[in-house]
Amino acid sequence: MSLFLAKLSCKRDIDEVIKTVAEKVLVLRFGRDEDSVCLQLDEILSKTAHDLSNMASIYIVDVDSAPVYTRYFDISYIPSTVFFFNGQHMKVDYGSPDHTKFVGSFKTKQDFLDLIEVIYRGAMRGKMIVKSPIDPQNIPKYDLLYHGI
Amino acid sequence: MGAFYCAICRQTSFSGKAHIFGKSHQSKLKVVLVKFLEKVKEARRTIKNPQVERFDCTQHKRKCWCYCCGLEVERDVTDGDITVLFGGLLEHMARPDHRKGTHTFWWENKADPKLRDKFIITENEMERFKTEVAKALGSFEDKEDGLIKQQATHIRAQEQHRQEVLQSLIEVCLPRMQQHSVSPNLNFGSSSHFRAPGSDEQARSGRVDQMVARQWAGPGQGLTFIGYQDSSNSGNVHTGAIPPWLQEDPNEGRSGTMEQAIGPSLQDFLKQKEQEKLKKLPPNRVGANFDHSSQTDANWLPSFGRVWNSGRRWQSRHQFREEEGQTNRQKRKRDQGAEGTKKPNHFMLSNGQGAGT
Repeated sequence: MSLFLAKLSCKRDIDEVIKTVAEKVLVLRFGRDEDSVCLQLDEILSKTAHDLSNMASIYIVDVDSAPVYTRYFDISYIPSTVFFFNGQHMKVDYGSPDHTKFVGSFKTKQDFLDLIEVIYRGAMRGKMIVKSPIDPQNIPKYDLLYHGI
Repeated sequence: MGAFYCAICRQTSFSGKAHIFGKSHQSKLKVVLVKFLEKVKEARRTIKNPQVERFDCTQHKRKCWCYCCGLEVERDVTDGDITVLFGGLLEHMARPDHRKGTHTFWWENKADPKLRDKFIITENEMERFKTEVAKALGSFEDKEDGLIKQQATHIRAQEQHRQEVLQSLIEVCLPRMQQHSVSPNLNFGSSSHFRAPGSDEQARSGRVDQMVARQWAGPGQGLTFIGYQDSSNSGNVHTGAIPPWLQEDPNEGRSGTMEQAIGPSLQDFLKQKEQEKLKKLPPNRVGANFDHSSQTDANWLPSFGRVWNSGRRWQSRHQFREEEGQTNRQKRKRDQGAEGTKKPNHFMLSNGQGAGT
C-alpha cells in the first residue's frame, strides 16, 4: 500500500517538501512501514490520495530516518500524522490530549476526507487550529505521557 | 309575555313558558338529561370504589357543566400530587344549593320527577365516599412507597456494579501501565476516575460502546510505542522550539543540486507588476479586451472618410477601395513602365465625381 505513496527518507527532503508544497495541505505520516496500524493508515492514505490531489499532498516518513523530527513532534506512538499548510504546522482539536498530530489510524476513508477538507477550509480562512469533524468515538485513544506536566 | 331565553332549547321564545310543554323542548330536555345522567352515574360508581391516581395535568382537572345550577364544576379533586377522580362532581352535588337548583330546574322545565333524585347525592352517600377515599389514599401511598423502594434498590445495584468494574480495571491495568504499554481500558479507568461522579453514566455507556466497537480493528489497542522522545535539549512542538525545517542545516550548503533561490524570475516579476496595474483600471473601458498579440496588415486603418460627403458610408468606403486599387495599379505600371506597354488610362475619368458624389 505504501508503495504508491511518496516516501521521504532524510531531514532535508522533509524540509524541502514542507517549504515547497504550496496552497495544499501537506500530510506527513510518521511511522514504520511494517507496523500493522501503519499499514491500515497507509491503505486509507493511498486510496484517498488521488481524490485529494488538488487539496492535499501525502508523504510517508519513517520515524527512524529523521530523529530530529521525531523529537520535535514528540512522536511516541506510531503512526502519527502531522498536517501542514504553506509551511505552517496546522493543529487540529480531535478531542484527544494532543492537538499537534493525529495518533493512530482512521476508522473510515470518509473520516480522513472530512478531516482534510476541514483543515483545508480552515487554512484558507486563516485559521491555524481547527476542530476535527470526526466523531470522538472513532478517534484512537492513547495516553499522553508529556514530560513537562 | 316577554322575551324568555330557554337554556335547554337555546332559543328565545316570546310565548312565555308555554313552549316548555311543547314537543321540541321536552325532547331536548331528555337528551340533555341523558348526557348529564351518564356523568352522574360514573360519579356514583366511584362512591364505592374511589379512584385515586397520581396527578396528571393533561387528563385531570376537567370541568363539567351542571345544568341544574347553571355552573361549571371541576370534575376531579386534586392537591397537586394525587387526584381523586370525580371527587369534585360528587362534592358539588352533595351541596344544599345544588339540591335547590335541581328542584328549581325540574319545576321550571317540567322534567320527569323520577329522575330528579338521581342527580342529588345525599349526606350518607357523601360520608361513605369520604371513608372510601381515605382508604384508597392509604393504599395508593403504600403502592407508591413500594415503587420508590424498588427504584432505589435498582440504582444501588447499578452503582455497585460500576464500582466493581472500576476496581477490576485499575487492578488489572496498573501493572501493565508500569511496562509502558497502552491500553484503552486504562484510559477509561483513569479518566473516568477523575471525572465528576455525575458523568459516571457516560463512562459506563462509553465502555459499552467501546466493547461493541471492538470489532473495528481497535487501533486504540494496538498503537506501537516507540519510546519516550527526550527533547529536553532541543525543545519540541509543545514547548514552542524552532521547527527543524526553519533551522539552519550544515549539510545544505554542500549539495548544490537544488535551486536555492525561491520565487519567480525577474522578468516574470516585472510582468506580474504590470498586470497588477492593469487590474486596477476599470474593466469596461474601451479597448480593455484589446488583443495586443494579434497580427495586423497594412490596410487595417478604418479611416476612409470623405469629410464633405453626404451619402452612405459604404459609398465612401467603396470609393476609397477603388482609389486604393488605382494607386496600386499605377505603382505596378510604373514598375512595368520600362517595358513600354502603354494602356489607355480609362480609370482617370472617374475621379471622385460619381453619381451622388
